[in-house]
Amino acid sequence: MNWIEVFLIPFIKSLVLILALLTGFAYMTYYERKVLARFHVRYGPNRAGPFGLLQPVADAIKAIFKEEIIPAHVDKWVYLAAPVLALIPALIAFAVIPIGPDLNLFGRQVSLYIADVNIGFLYVLAVASVGTYGVILAGWSSNNNYSLLGALRTAAQMVSYELPLGIILVAVVLTTSLATGEGSLSLVGLVQQERPWWVWLWLWVAFPIFFICMLAETNRSPFDLPETENELVAGFQTEYGGIKFALFFMAEYIHMITASAIMATVFFGGWQGPFVDRWPALGILYFVVKVILVLFLFLWVRASVPRVRYDQLMHFCWKFLFPVSLVYLAITAVLVALL
Amino acid sequence: MTSVAPATVADPVETKEFRDVEARLRERFPAAVLDVERAFGEVDFTVRAADLLSVARFLRDEPGLEFVHLADLTAVDRSALPPRQRKPGDKRFAGIYHLFSFSGRRRIRLTVPAEGPDSKPTIPSLYPLWRSAFCMEREAYDLMGIHYEGHPDLRRIMMPWDWVGHPLRKDEPLGGEEVPFSMTWNDPEFATLGKQIMDPPPTKAPLPKGVDPTQHMVLNLGPHHPATHGVLRIALELDGERIVSAHPDTGYLHSGFEKQGEHVRYKDFVPYTDRMDYTSAMCNNLGYCLAVEKLLGVEIPPRAQAIRVVVAELQRIAAHLIWLATHILDTSGTGMSLLMYALREREMILDIFEMICGARMTVSYVRIGGVWKDVPPAFVPKVEEFCDLFLRRLDEYERMLSRSVVLRKRLEGIGVLSKEDAISLGVTGPLLRGSGVYYDLRKLAPYSGYDRYEFDVPLSNRGDSWGRYEVRMQEMRQSIRIIRQALEDVKRTEGEPCKTTDRKVALPPRDELDTSMEALIHHFKLVTEGIKPPPGEVYFGHENPKGELGFYIVSDGGPKPYRLRVRGPSFVNIFATDTMARGQLLSDLIAIIGSIDIVLGEVDR
Repeated sequence: MNWIEVFLIPFIKSLVLILALLTGFAYMTYYERKVLARFHVRYGPNRAGPFGLLQPVADAIKAIFKEEIIPAHVDKWVYLAAPVLALIPALIAFAVIPIGPDLNLFGRQVSLYIADVNIGFLYVLAVASVGTYGVILAGWSSNNNYSLLGALRTAAQMVSYELPLGIILVAVVLTTSLATGEGSLSLVGLVQQERPWWVWLWLWVAFPIFFICMLAETNRSPFDLPETENELVAGFQTEYGGIKFALFFMAEYIHMITASAIMATVFFGGWQGPFVDRWPALGILYFVVKVILVLFLFLWVRASVPRVRYDQLMHFCWKFLFPVSLVYLAITAVLVALL
Repeated sequence: MTSVAPATVADPVETKEFRDVEARLRERFPAAVLDVERAFGEVDFTVRAADLLSVARFLRDEPGLEFVHLADLTAVDRSALPPRQRKPGDKRFAGIYHLFSFSGRRRIRLTVPAEGPDSKPTIPSLYPLWRSAFCMEREAYDLMGIHYEGHPDLRRIMMPWDWVGHPLRKDEPLGGEEVPFSMTWNDPEFATLGKQIMDPPPTKAPLPKGVDPTQHMVLNLGPHHPATHGVLRIALELDGERIVSAHPDTGYLHSGFEKQGEHVRYKDFVPYTDRMDYTSAMCNNLGYCLAVEKLLGVEIPPRAQAIRVVVAELQRIAAHLIWLATHILDTSGTGMSLLMYALREREMILDIFEMICGARMTVSYVRIGGVWKDVPPAFVPKVEEFCDLFLRRLDEYERMLSRSVVLRKRLEGIGVLSKEDAISLGVTGPLLRGSGVYYDLRKLAPYSGYDRYEFDVPLSNRGDSWGRYEVRMQEMRQSIRIIRQALEDVKRTEGEPCKTTDRKVALPPRDELDTSMEALIHHFKLVTEGIKPPPGEVYFGHENPKGELGFYIVSDGGPKPYRLRVRGPSFVNIFATDTMARGQLLSDLIAIIGSIDIVLGEVDR
């Protein structure tokens, strides 16, 4: 235990991770615009830099240098705190996700995660719930009817969809005890664990449900009801502009990246892949590719599935997803108990 | 499911002279009918104001008459008419009503002289009989200053609330005065304009009648809202997300086309029609030209008629594509893809328009007496190519949309409009047909040779947004059917004139000017004076993509219309929102507005 291990390494790791996530966010917008454009028979951004690659930079500069407007009728401090509150949980949720196997850097064994807490799953769920506060406070402090409606929708939607999400995760945790006899709530442990092929198959059965919940959790189309442009103008962000708006945007996209990372970790083995034993750095590549592929699913759904109505969304959750996930959990429990 | 209408409809009652209507009216109300006039194949009953309600009720409910559709309601200021068109004892203002009978397939006009002084001419309101009178009477009140007794909420609808006077009165000048928009500096609502965000004004917008802000949340939807398609404002009374009442507020885009029409020559009004419902410019051109041609009594050569039908149907498809794109975008959000696909097809139509007249949206291609110019040789193959391609693309859309469970759930049972409500509210076009009423003027009062083409009128008995969606999707297929048949006519009449040979209406060909003195004189007269139709009044209604677009023209024999009234389908349709939206959710309102398919340029004119 020296100061290098306790402070410096976690600090550097956090810094690198945050920078990577922010860059990831910037290029996520580029990726989304390009992919959606192709779905729409368009080109997408192609002016700034080669292939439009500098577009995110231009967007960032624009957002930062916009005039700061704080409407007079808002609750100022809450109004300012809300975007920050929305962004932080999205960032810190990443702390428990392993990005790759341990690497040998500068003569030190460096693990590619910030923290291997033994309650990794619970941590993810808890942090994701805190994200709701940012949205609700934004809607409330804006003192605007559209914002309020958007915020109320968010509250109901996120609370509802966390239930099936949590239940599926419980089922996943149950399966971890299959291989070694003792279960684990750690995401790092989950990736390192060897699991037989039929466990993978059984997990993939739950993937669609989990994915739908994640869509709702991240407020992505077709569950983007808190900010339905066509009904609520911009929902909870109506009164936000400039960099504050960008922070919400950032929160949403980093949420998406985090969600994809969780799905890649839980359902597709995280950084695992062929030849990782020989070249551990390959693990990072596998992880990134898996995350990008899951992110593509988000975009694909956005381009092709119409949005549901708010009450239908809630019905869908409580009358379909919730029972189905319960049944899935029950079957998993029985299987685990039998084997 | 869409039911295709019966191929044959009731034959029109063969009484061009409307003798039966006159006889029954005179028998029932001996003192009410002051005068009967017949001209241009129309009949005009002058009815005493005091008896209007009972006469209208009789006309609506009496078996054999059944004039159930209040097609148009407006007013005329007759103070500047030349003496030969005025009868002794004529009142200055007259209410004009057009009633249509679905069963008899005929239209009559009631002229009701307004009682009272010029400052407050009064006519009883027709609101108890037709709810469509709500918006049209408000418009006549706003623009002409007629007071309708018994109207529930008679206030301005187009002009700003502090406007003094009534613009369509003949003593109101056209120009030279300050033109206030709805934001004027002495409007207390806008006293803090530009500071609203930083320093909110303590003023409150006046609430529509019957809205209770202490019980419910009042949401101001628009005029700058992504889903209102322009500057429409709807004052919503919400209970949670459920709609208690919805009050459309129009007039933000009012540009006084009717007043303009009284100050330009007949042919010069064609470009104005482009700008009313800018998604269906060709159809507007056609409707206006047909109205003037009815007044002139000119014969249009078959080639021009066929070309008109082709371009009008192409425009109908283009307009429906815009509707499809925006409607799906509004209801589903993800319909961005569909928006792009639909615009891709519309682009082909606009390319065809560009080829025939050089303009893409504001075409002014259909002219009085024919069309501007003959179509180029590439026109026919291009349209054929479009027809083939479009049917395939339409199948693609239907695969994407009609089978989508999510979309069905969004549209089914939303904004239900019963048959009775639809007729009472005066809605027309796909909105009315979506409620199962067989009303398509291309069939009921054929023009431009539509009676020669075979096509069905898609109907749906559902009355909800899904029904209207199906009707419009089917209509696009029927339009392709009509285009194919009309295109055969275009091919067959190759080389024939596409303008009337009546030299008092259309310019002579250029080469004739070198050889013929006559032609030169006609040319000179037409260019300097313009067309001079005979005195009289006509109403012509035609089937626009959005519904019945009617032009009511009063001519005093001069080169400019004396009164030009435009009956915009969107204007009447949008006032059905309240009936359709009550009890639905806020999200449904968006689906409802989308399924009404409005263009604000036409609502406000």
